[in-house]
Formats: sequence, structure tokens, C-alpha cells
Amino acid sequence: MKKLILAVSVLAAVSSCKKETSKPTENKAEVSSEAPKTNNKIVTLNGGITEIVSALGHDSEIVATDVTSTYPESLKATAKDLGHVRSMTIEPIMAVSPTLILASDKDINPDLVGKIKASGIKTELFKQEFTVGGTKKLIADVAKAIGNTDYQKLNDKIDADLKQVQPIAKKPKVLFIYARGNMMMVSGKNTPMAALINLAGGENAINDFEDFKPLTPEAVVKANPDVLFFFTSGLQGSGGNEGALKMPGVSQTNAGKNKKIIAMDGGLVSGFGPRLGEAAVALNKLLVENTK
Amino acid sequence: MRTQSKLYFYIALSAILLFIIAVWSLNTGVYDFGGRSAFEVLGKLIREDSGVSVSDKYIVWDVRASRIIMAILIGSMLSVSGTSLQGLFKNPLATGDLIGLTSGATLMAAITIVLGRHFREFFPEAVQFSLVGIAAFIGSLLAMLLVYRISTSGGKTNVVMMLLTGVAISAIGFSIVGFLIYISKDDQLRDLTFWNMGSLAAATWTKNAILAVVLVFSFSILMPKGKALNAMMLGEKDAQHLGINVEKLKKEVIIITALMVGSCVAFSGTIGFVGLIVPYILRLLFKSNYAFILPLSAICGSILLLTADTFSRSIVEPSELPIGILTAMMGAPIFIAILIKFKKSM
Repeated sequence: MKKLILAVSVLAAVSSCKKETSKPTENKAEVSSEAPKTNNKIVTLNGGITEIVSALGHDSEIVATDVTSTYPESLKATAKDLGHVRSMTIEPIMAVSPTLILASDKDINPDLVGKIKASGIKTELFKQEFTVGGTKKLIADVAKAIGNTDYQKLNDKIDADLKQVQPIAKKPKVLFIYARGNMMMVSGKNTPMAALINLAGGENAINDFEDFKPLTPEAVVKANPDVLFFFTSGLQGSGGNEGALKMPGVSQTNAGKNKKIIAMDGGLVSGFGPRLGEAAVALNKLLVENTK
Repeated sequence: MRTQSKLYFYIALSAILLFIIAVWSLNTGVYDFGGRSAFEVLGKLIREDSGVSVSDKYIVWDVRASRIIMAILIGSMLSVSGTSLQGLFKNPLATGDLIGLTSGATLMAAITIVLGRHFREFFPEAVQFSLVGIAAFIGSLLAMLLVYRISTSGGKTNVVMMLLTGVAISAIGFSIVGFLIYISKDDQLRDLTFWNMGSLAAATWTKNAILAVVLVFSFSILMPKGKALNAMMLGEKDAQHLGINVEKLKKEVIIITALMVGSCVAFSGTIGFVGLIVPYILRLLFKSNYAFILPLSAICGSILLLTADTFSRSIVEPSELPIGILTAMMGAPIFIAILIKFKKSM
């Protein structure tokens, strides 16, 4: 008798599974603990937004992304890279026949916005703020746009991660250097880097100006940072730690004297998506190690 | 009469070539019409067949066809403006770039791109998106006005003064643009760079309608000027003796050129060298007979720009190469050829 019940229940389970796979749209509510299956074909044009869509379990729906969408790496194989959002044109976007385009309102150029609107494809432009609150709001907004309300776990994870940030008694002054070819820029106020440095228990070394400015020896000496902070790729391009120490003015600073140079992945640092907490913890760890 | 029929023959020949290139261009691109060609889709559109999807229609009509028409219009105007200026100044290097029109347009566009956030909101929303274009147009007209004022005294325009003023205005323009580049943010810098290399990606039918009006108006004034420009080659005094109103001719050519260059730059950014290459090649083929090369340059400019644009959007798929890079690549060797040819007389 027991065997019979077992057999019947197994059969029932198998048949219910079959139903679920054959008619996925009717069982939306049942599978909502995972990502709800939709037939969206999403184009994401911002690294942070791409991470959110993917973290919500919709990575299989992403058909194309921009050049800043470097995480998760698996997208490289499944989604088309449309290049930089400022130089993108409408036809390659249409070529992947998307049903939904997600982008940040600052990134995308007005001509392309006009074309996208004219094409009739559903488009959501999000405001991105480089704060914890802004990131959580972005996550909620993106989740709403793709029809997934189960985003709280992402926000909770950010909070949980941020709790692991260890307070640093004497806040180190951190100078972010954006190295791109021969051009060196340093980050002032209101940059993602400054925001992350603060979250990680450090202090942004330059607060005289907003955004990025070209690096000058005097400005570096005046800022006198305790730690120099690079994107991993940028540091490699500038000749690694030795190259960084040879940059004009660096040898006069505390960071140069003590050879305190750190680097992190660009996407992780500037994404301000679901990995914000992770990024802050990783930077915090590096800062703690380098202020001993 | 024989030369007249010869002209018609060449015009017909280049028009056929232009048509073939347009057909090729319509079927070139990354979008896939589900195994069909763009012509099938276009055919169905014309027959108002309901079997065409919204996306297919959008790509064929609003993206590719509008872009092809824009390339034809802008190529034609840039080339005719170059031809007329070169005829007027008897100088193969005279183009909108040289007398400062392009730099005036670039300066105003750069100001709008970099500082636009401070004043954009004062304009109605319909204007905000095309603010850069409008500014560029105004910049080109202002530069023209300035050049004209400085180089004209007692009702007479001094051509050498005009070219020199153009050089000076370009220098001022580029130094201010340089400063704007220095203070611009990452995304503004990118916009500025791409704008400076030109692109037809933003083509729409509304823009094409405006360009077409400018073209028809400008050509109706310039096209009958072939013989007058031929007379100008003898020198201003001799042209005057032949009954040409030289001052009026100068005024008309300069104002119309500024209008054309300004509108082109406004919609496509700066696309260099078109006004230099086309007249030069035509002069090599047909000698300096402006009655001949003025109408021909109108079609050949379109051929050049449409070819360049089709390449620009198909060689580095899925992104595209700014068209100014391609025209410069074609133009620079010709520029050098001109310099070598005129080395002895310089």
C-alpha cells in the first residue's frame, strides 16, 4: 500500500512538473520564488542596471548590453555587446528585437533617446544616484520595470554586507586615479568612487571640485593621500605599482612614501548595483590592510 | 548645344550610379528582416501590405531610407558649397572650413554640449533636443557675418582678407573649443568628439524636409551662376567688364553657402573634406567650367557621402565609424595632391 501511495505521488509530482514546463506562463505565481518567467527580451545599457536584472534571475532575458556591463561574465557569451552608449545607433539595438530597453537617464545621448522612442519599444530610463538609498531605489525601480517584485533580498544583502565594513580609527585619505591611456584623471566630489570610498570608511582626498579633473603634480602633493586607488585595468595600463609610484608628484605624498597602492575591478567599484555592499567591504578590507 | 547634351549625359549617368548605391545602401545593415531583403519589405510597405511588422517598417523607412536621403541632401549641399566658394575665390582650397563657417558652427555646438545644462531648461521642450543643431546653425551664420564685415570695406569684399579672417576665426573658435574640452565631463567629451567627427545616425524625415527646403532654395539661386563663376576666373575686373555684378555675386554665394553649411553641420555634425574632394575631381575631369561642374557636383557629392555613410555603418558592426573619419581618409590624400600640384605657384 505504501509503495502504491509513493508511486502515485511520484507520478503526480512528475506530471505536475511537466505541466509547469509546458505552460510556464500560466504558473507564474507558483514559480515566483524563482524569477517569474517572462518573454522579455531586454537590452540593458548600464553596468549597474545589468547587474540588477541579472541578480533578480533574469539574465537569460538579456539579449544585448553596453560596454560597461562587465558583470556577470556569463553575459559575454549570451548577450550581444553594443559598444559604448554614447556612440550607439538604433539599428544594432533593433537588430536584437528587444521588447524592453533599460538605461540610465544620464548615459544615453538625446538623439538615440529620440530614435528609441520613435521605434515604439518599451523603454525605461532610470535616475542613478551614487548612494546606498539611491542604489536600493534603483533596484526597486528596475525590478518593477521587469515585473519582478522579489527584490528585497538584494537590498537586504547590501545592508548585511555593509555591516561587515570595519570602522577605521584614522580615516585614510584615498585618491582615486582614473588612468585611461595617457590621460590621468582624479576624482573629486560626487563621483561613484568618492561615494564608495566614504562607504568603505575612507575619505576622498580631493573635495575642491566635482567630477573628474586631469591629474596635476601640485594637486596630488596638495591632496597628500595616504592611499592611491586605481581600477585594476587602469593600474596595469600605467605600468603597475612601479608606474604609479613614478607618476608626477606621487613620491612626495604619504601614499608614495609608504607605497600604498590598491586596485579594484572597475565594474565593481562604479556599478552601484546589487554588489555595492560587496564593493564597500572589499575596499574596506584593502584600506584596513594598508593603514596598519 | 553639344556641351549641353554632354552635361545631361553625365548627369543622367551619375544619377543612375547614385540610385544603384542607394539601393545597395538600403539593403546594408545589421538588422535582419527574417530572411527577407529590405526591398521586399519596402515593396510591401508601398503596396500597404499589412504583413509588415512595426519594427521592419521602422528600420526600412525611418532608419535606413531617412538616412540615405539625408546623406544625399547633405553630400549634395556640402559639395555645391565647396564648388561655388572655390569658383568665387579662384582657390581650390576654399571651402566652408576655410572661411571659418565650420569652426563657427563647431564652437556654438560645443558651447551647447558642454554648458547646455545651465540654459537648456529656458527653452521649450520641442527645441531642447535640437538645441545643438540650432546653435551650430547660428554659429555658422555669425562666423559668416563676422568674416564678411571684416573683409568688406566701401562695398567691396577683399577675397584675401576673407580667407585670412577665416583662418583667424577658426583659430579663435578652436581655442575656445579646446577650453570647453578641458572643462567638459566624460560624457560631454564623448558627445563633442563624436559630433566633431560627424554622423548621419540621427536622421529623421522632419530633418530631411528642412534640409530639402534649404537645398531647393539654395540651388535655385546658385545653379544658374555657372557662367558668372567662369567669368570670375578672368579676375574681378574682367568679370565686371563682361557684365557680371561681382559684388552681388560674392554676397549671394557667401550667404547661400553659409546657409547650406550651417544647416548641414546642424544636423550631422562636422563632415569635412566633401566640399574639397568633389569639385577637385570634377575639375580634373571637366576642366574649370562651372556651368558644367556646378550641377555635376550636386550629384557627385551625394554619391560620395552616401558611399561613405554606407561603409561607416557596415564595417565595424554592430557599432559604426563616424563618417568624418572616412571622408577625411579620402580627402586628405587629395588635399596633398592639390598642394603638390600648386607647389610651384605658391
